[in-house]
Amino acid sequence: MIKYHPQHELLSLHIKGELPLSMSLAISAHAELCDICQQKLNRLTECETAATFDNNTESNISVDLDSEMSSLLAHMMQDTLDELDANPAQPYNEGVTEVTVKDQSYPLPRAFRHQINAQWQGIGKVSRLRLNTGEEQSRASLLHIAPQGEIPEHTHKGSELTLLLAGEFSDEYNTYRPGDFMLLDENHQHSPKTMTGCLCYTIVDAPLYFTKGFSKLLNPIGELLY
Amino acid sequence: MENFQSQTAENRYDKASLAKNNGATQLSNTNELDAEQLAELMLKVANLRCKVSFAKLFKHFGPKISAFGNQRLHQQGLAMDLVQETMTRVWTKAHLYSEDKAAVSTWVFTVMRNQCFDMLRKVQHNKEDSFGDDIWPLFESDDAESNEDDFKLSGTLLRHVDELPPLQRQIVQGIYMQEMTQQELADKLGIPIGTVKSRLRLGLEKLKGFMEKHYD
Repeated sequence: MIKYHPQHELLSLHIKGELPLSMSLAISAHAELCDICQQKLNRLTECETAATFDNNTESNISVDLDSEMSSLLAHMMQDTLDELDANPAQPYNEGVTEVTVKDQSYPLPRAFRHQINAQWQGIGKVSRLRLNTGEEQSRASLLHIAPQGEIPEHTHKGSELTLLLAGEFSDEYNTYRPGDFMLLDENHQHSPKTMTGCLCYTIVDAPLYFTKGFSKLLNPIGELLY
Repeated sequence: MENFQSQTAENRYDKASLAKNNGATQLSNTNELDAEQLAELMLKVANLRCKVSFAKLFKHFGPKISAFGNQRLHQQGLAMDLVQETMTRVWTKAHLYSEDKAAVSTWVFTVMRNQCFDMLRKVQHNKEDSFGDDIWPLFESDDAESNEDDFKLSGTLLRHVDELPPLQRQIVQGIYMQEMTQQELADKLGIPIGTVKSRLRLGLEKLKGFMEKHYD
């Protein structure tokens, strides 16, 4: 039974497409393991569709497409659609569907398929595979801890997200199962231990912007503030 | 008319009837189509490559996508690009749409949001990646769906997949995690589809066994 879920606001921003890649990967992977959140996301998508498309008074009133839109449609009807059918897309590259670390293979959630471009690195029982999300504000990784391994007690400058993908681990607060989604702020200290080994997805030094939405970061002034 | 203009879009049907009563002509050719009409158009695009139906979908969704693009991508001047890219995908990915799974508008919203996400990343990070469809799938595999009732894909299942013999594991992962069809898997592995089916059945039975052992 998954005990820890993303809060509603994160799900909502995720559906709007306003979270950074690192965080949307986590929500998507969680939902793949959690039917409850998947259903919530489905409902939120319907609500967001209605809010985006139905309240669009302009399109209800105007009968004709504006000239730019008309010429786009004309171009698609005359050329583009035929070209698209004549040149089928490249076969779908399914990407990486499982990772192997310390002779143990794990299936990867679908969201990570095209994110695995690095090698595992690590010392002792802890291995890390860095994801290149292009975000300067945070670091996203897959983290593997071998059986009987632990991470020394630590705090975080920003917040830390841990999504358990496989196996189990425990800390001072609880024992976690695959799908558990833990967002800790800098006030929490913890020292996770695992008996049987585990694979997690982590984002560290994640600042405030997890809950603010990333479209705001595109604003140059916003960028300076962060 | 002033009364009509000042109304918010609480309910377009009310507005439509109001306009009719006022004898207004603006809405007589409205592009608004209901869910059933949209689904029919979508099926014609998917199955018959019907351009006339596509044009109707374009007229319905184009202005809506443009309005969304103006909000989200205006600074970048990319609103029209979003219309073009989204409608291109409606054409090329129409076969993925399933009426049983979502309304057409929800599906088009998903295509548009995914595309917008990728475009924003391009602006922000100068990256030509397209991860939107990995994060928000445009469809769910039919095979996974049809097996859902008797065997739900869950965290518990994922934990045990690794314990399957390699040949069964390959099939179970292909169907459930890579969302391939049985035929696609058969083609990819160069084995008969009957073999795929039997390995899948054996694998699922074994997984059920694991589950019962651990959770009974």
